[in-house]
Amino acid sequence: MTVERVFKSPGTKLLRLTADIDAGAVRGLSMRGDFFAHPEEGFDRVEASLVGVTVAGFESAFRAALEREGVSLYGLDPADVANLIEEAARDA
Amino acid sequence: MTLRLLRTGVARGAFNMGLDEAVLGSVSEGRQPPTLRFYGWNPPTVSLGYFQGLDDEVDREACRAAGVDVVRRITGGGAVFHDDELTYSVVIPERHPLARADIMESYRFLCSGLVDGFARLGLRAAFAPLNDILVDGRKVSGNAQTRRKGCILQHGTVLLGVDPERMFSLLKVPSEKLKGKLIQDIKDRVRGLDQLLGRRVGLDEAADAFADGFAAALGVELSLAEPAADELAEAERHAEERYANEAWTAKR
Repeated sequence: MTVERVFKSPGTKLLRLTADIDAGAVRGLSMRGDFFAHPEEGFDRVEASLVGVTVAGFESAFRAALEREGVSLYGLDPADVANLIEEAARDA
Repeated sequence: MTLRLLRTGVARGAFNMGLDEAVLGSVSEGRQPPTLRFYGWNPPTVSLGYFQGLDDEVDREACRAAGVDVVRRITGGGAVFHDDELTYSVVIPERHPLARADIMESYRFLCSGLVDGFARLGLRAAFAPLNDILVDGRKVSGNAQTRRKGCILQHGTVLLGVDPERMFSLLKVPSEKLKGKLIQDIKDRVRGLDQLLGRRVGLDEAADAFADGFAAALGVELSLAEPAADELAEAERHAEERYANEAWTAKR
């Protein structure tokens, strides 16, 4: 199931999330918006690496991938993305 | 301390972004000193942040019909309609005394050059984290930073004038019904120098003021130069291979 979510909190930039969720796992993922990530290409790799992770393990996998790629985020919180993914999985 | 000053006038968006990247390369490799550049845009151009979705943000058909180019930046942040504005970029090695490791401090410090420039035009401006500058609570400048090849690149805009109706004829809006509200929102929250000063400020006058502002706030001298031949060639190469390349523009 493909879900689209738009999320903005006072402390973050706008996030447009598209996720394919099937059988408790993320099968496709696109995070778009006016947030910042340094280095930018590192974030591209982080995003790609999250395809295949479980919904339950999403946040820890996201944080581990950021650490591995040495990526700093500004205006995007992995916890918010994980919440959106969990909500979407519940609705599925 | 001296910064090289480039005033490259107006150019197309793909070249403008290509030259910022070329300067990043030449400063990174020590071929050129840290550099401050001022420029403008012709034709008018929508630039997208690195992580933004092209089809989320831009009405490409409307842009084509209006003769407006679309480019994706190598910096994050939001979509900008570049028309009546002064744009600057600054490139500094991360180990340079003017560089700040912390991102917020780095924005604040480099934006102090703009705040000083606004003061020279008679306006009391303030840095608003993470990446805006406000006058009387209204946005007058947006900025974006990246760190690559051991350098900081920050570029940003100073609005000479604002045309929200035109802007939202080029950017996607959730619905026609919401368009009026978004236009009003920009009218409430964003200001051009023309509105703030009650007169037109041209590209050259603005560049003079902000060059002086950067020099004073950063405590540097500016040495006016032309881009080197290799930088211009690299700018054209980046323009062709990246910024005018559909695969890059439609990357997200």
